[in-house]
Amino acid sequence: MNKKLVSALLCGTMVLSASAAMVSAEGEKIALVGKSAGNAFFEIAADSFVEAAEAEGATVDVVYPEAATADAQIKVLDNLISQQPDAICISANDVNALQAKLEEAMDAGIKVSSFDSAPNADSRQIFVNQAGTVAVGQALIDAVYDIAGGEGQWAVLSATSQAANQNAWIDAMKTIMEGDEKYANLELVEVAYGDDEPQKSTDQTAALLDKYPDLKVICAPTTVGIAAAAKYLQDNGSACKLTGLGLPSEMLEYTGADDEHSCPYFYLWDMQGLGKLSAYATLALVKGDITGALDETFTAGDLGEYTITEADDKGTEIVLGLPLEFNSDNIEEMAKLY
Amino acid sequence: MAGKSGRSINNVPESPMKQILFSWEGILVIVLVLVNVFCVWFSEYYNTFNLLRQMPVYLAEVFLMLPMAFILVLGEIDISVGSIVCLSATAACIVCNTGAPFVAVILAAIAVGTVCGAVNGCILTRFPELPPMIVTLATQIIFRGIAEIVLGSGGSISANNTDGFRAISGKVGSVPYILFLVLILAVIAAVILGKSTFGRRVYAIGTNRLTAYYSGIHVQKIRFIIYTVMGSISGLCALFLVASSYGANTTTGNGFEMDAIAMAVFGGISSTGGKGNIAGGLISAFIIVCLRVGLGQRNVHAQVILLIVGLLLIGAVALPNIVGQIQRAVKMKK
Amino acid sequence: MQKKSLIKKITGSREALLAIILIILFALITAVSPSFLTPKSLMDMLKNNAVTLVMALGMLCVMLVGGIDISIMSTLALSGMSIGMLLKYGVISGTVTAFLIAMIIGLVCGALVGLVISRANVPPIIATMGFMYVFRAMGYLVSNGGEWASAAALGSFKNFATSKLLGLNCVIWVIIACYVIFFFFMKWTRTGRKIYAVGSNSNAAEVSGINVKNIKLMVYMIMGFLAGLGGALQVSIYASAMPDMQQGGEMDVIAACVIGGVSMSGGRGSVIGALLGALVLATIAKALPLIPFFDQLWLNTIKGVIILVVVVVNVILQRVTDKNTLKGREM
Repeated sequence: MNKKLVSALLCGTMVLSASAAMVSAEGEKIALVGKSAGNAFFEIAADSFVEAAEAEGATVDVVYPEAATADAQIKVLDNLISQQPDAICISANDVNALQAKLEEAMDAGIKVSSFDSAPNADSRQIFVNQAGTVAVGQALIDAVYDIAGGEGQWAVLSATSQAANQNAWIDAMKTIMEGDEKYANLELVEVAYGDDEPQKSTDQTAALLDKYPDLKVICAPTTVGIAAAAKYLQDNGSACKLTGLGLPSEMLEYTGADDEHSCPYFYLWDMQGLGKLSAYATLALVKGDITGALDETFTAGDLGEYTITEADDKGTEIVLGLPLEFNSDNIEEMAKLY
Repeated sequence: MAGKSGRSINNVPESPMKQILFSWEGILVIVLVLVNVFCVWFSEYYNTFNLLRQMPVYLAEVFLMLPMAFILVLGEIDISVGSIVCLSATAACIVCNTGAPFVAVILAAIAVGTVCGAVNGCILTRFPELPPMIVTLATQIIFRGIAEIVLGSGGSISANNTDGFRAISGKVGSVPYILFLVLILAVIAAVILGKSTFGRRVYAIGTNRLTAYYSGIHVQKIRFIIYTVMGSISGLCALFLVASSYGANTTTGNGFEMDAIAMAVFGGISSTGGKGNIAGGLISAFIIVCLRVGLGQRNVHAQVILLIVGLLLIGAVALPNIVGQIQRAVKMKK
Repeated sequence: MQKKSLIKKITGSREALLAIILIILFALITAVSPSFLTPKSLMDMLKNNAVTLVMALGMLCVMLVGGIDISIMSTLALSGMSIGMLLKYGVISGTVTAFLIAMIIGLVCGALVGLVISRANVPPIIATMGFMYVFRAMGYLVSNGGEWASAAALGSFKNFATSKLLGLNCVIWVIIACYVIFFFFMKWTRTGRKIYAVGSNSNAAEVSGINVKNIKLMVYMIMGFLAGLGGALQVSIYASAMPDMQQGGEMDVIAACVIGGVSMSGGRGSVIGALLGALVLATIAKALPLIPFFDQLWLNTIKGVIILVVVVVNVILQRVTDKNTLKGREM
């Protein structure tokens, strides 16, 4: 960390030394584009992406936009098109806004894959989905059902009203709830948005408890939201419990089956697996093993064989697997990983 | 235009030597050349073709710098422009998706921008006691809020018919249309600010509002016009932004106001009012664009690029002052 | 006669007008959602807005001398992230040490900003805009490229925000302490009055022997110090340090001051005003989710409209009272 601090002060030197350390790339050159810098969540997947790709002899540049916006990602893509890498793998900040640039990239012969958060079907060749939307919805609604004891009020605390992933999961939960008699006694009272800010998420959690004193469960399918809500509920010793999608290291303090902890268990997918699978899928695209068409299969190293399926948006995707459950038994161990 | 020092009414007399050597625009031109030399050395991908190909996204922001220069010369600030861009872009996409001809799309974007600008202008001239920063902060939240409401759940819209947008992002040879448009608008803005009565009045207001008022200048009318034009140009910016993305979302244009202000200030346009000219702003805009493209092409961390821009900004304003102070100190000793 | 002058006194002061607006706001919200006006809910509100409340004091000082500081949330992120990482990697463990380090980092940042503004005559908005990028970037670099310091990594530090002293949360004590200190500092100390003097007329202040440059340097150091304190509070309250903390939050702090009647051209404003302004914003943030009438999508628009309305109403009331005073003189 000290090293980082020094380099911050001597950033000018850093820029210069970066150019000195330039190595001409052999093998495939891949650019991995994140949503924004300083996202611990993305960092984990990026690390294993780089590891897997480099093991296969490719070089990877991890690039971040200056802000978590599509505008900033457009500038990054422009830079990348100038560099002509073999492939770009992107986690998109907006579904539609990158289409013009990603099409330009594909026209220039660059393969475009995406993971974590997909751009629309026209602007990608393949999407590596962390877990099927329905599977996530099913896992979350079952968690709510289980924690609430089969009946009662529950609420959702999401990121922003525009977050595509979150909206898809919430819709999936609603659909499953309506379609099955089992969930008839569960009442979804509100979907609140905390904008992925701790402060606003805390206000929203407090407001939910105020408005619905009988609230049994809050489901927060977003990492910042779940941590903020967990802290509020735990500090206040609330009877309301929590589940959702979160990072084990963030949730370590709040997870446990007893009354002292606010979150009995929660979910996330295998972030390292996601990075790895994305790396293999991107390399397969570059090598021509797959083109991103439906029903193609490829082998993703030690992860085994995967088949390309149709995504919700009519594009194609590869689904990593089922979401993982984190509870008091495994959280200590998983928190060390991510 | 380069070499012409800022029109300033309370100009401190300077030695002719200093005027030639230390004219801010002169220095900026040298810096621009140096930055390009650096970028060519630094990035193997940095060439005219790539620069022209990557430029349009940045040039959309240069549009905003032009009216922002007027506002800064007034001694004011408008931080709502990013949100106006967002709302105009949304309007453009919505109109486009109704199947209307592209002219209607252009008009819609500019009209929405103009209305937003007029709202700012109206509030600010109706209540001149209010600081522009706080009013435009409120409208910044409101305009983006309206876009959020219009876009609804999902917060993103894509233009179904991209023909028109493809057309305006076209090129003559490898030079994009937008570059010509920016240069033309810059010349117009430079003439208005530097040569016309209107421009003189803007400087007068920026230098001393009360004096300007008592010498018969319609301060509020001029302010209203400038804020409204700021809105219209934001609409234009939105149009070209949509041309590079075929869509709009709730974060479109986020932070553009700061970029526009940074370009203007780096170009010697003082935020305290009454100083600077368009030429400086334009050259500095190109310095920032070239530097960001060059550094970006070698995947320098985005935060490091911002850090460099931040230091440049402080340095650009601080250095001349420090040099001036040292010179004065030396003179005093003599 | 006595009564009339009292009314005059109330309507004549911006703070009193704002207090009335705040009371009306409270009454409206309580009518819709009775649970709003309970001690617990109010304490929650204060705690959740501690950062804005504390930093509004620094912004008050900065704005009193006619300046502005938009780098504060980057300073907050840098100091908060630094102690987050120090705690995570076990370099430090004590709560007091962490607070001290955060405040020192903030103070140094503030001093840098202050030096550039007071010594190199850079307009405050430009200098702080530059430092906004610089400090935020340093925050990212300190975070080792995007690590977070989460609850488990923060050890006992986060307990500060949950522990209570004499029935009140420690965070709220910090807020109270800051406001009491500043109330006395601004009103009754020589230095406090010098800040007002510089803001009202810096030439006159210079001539009367006040070192204007040092006062300017000092206010930015105060601001930086409070931003550092804010960083420690932020990390402690939310038990999490991220490099993008509070991005854009500086506008809330500025808005709080302006709503509280602090003039952006300097010289006018009070600690009570800053407090009331921050409370208005805190109330809006707390109350909007409680009101069931509208879609969540409308929150931001409504927040913007309320800020605008409060500021405009304040101006209109001010005009009316000014007119009344003039009338009184004529008679």
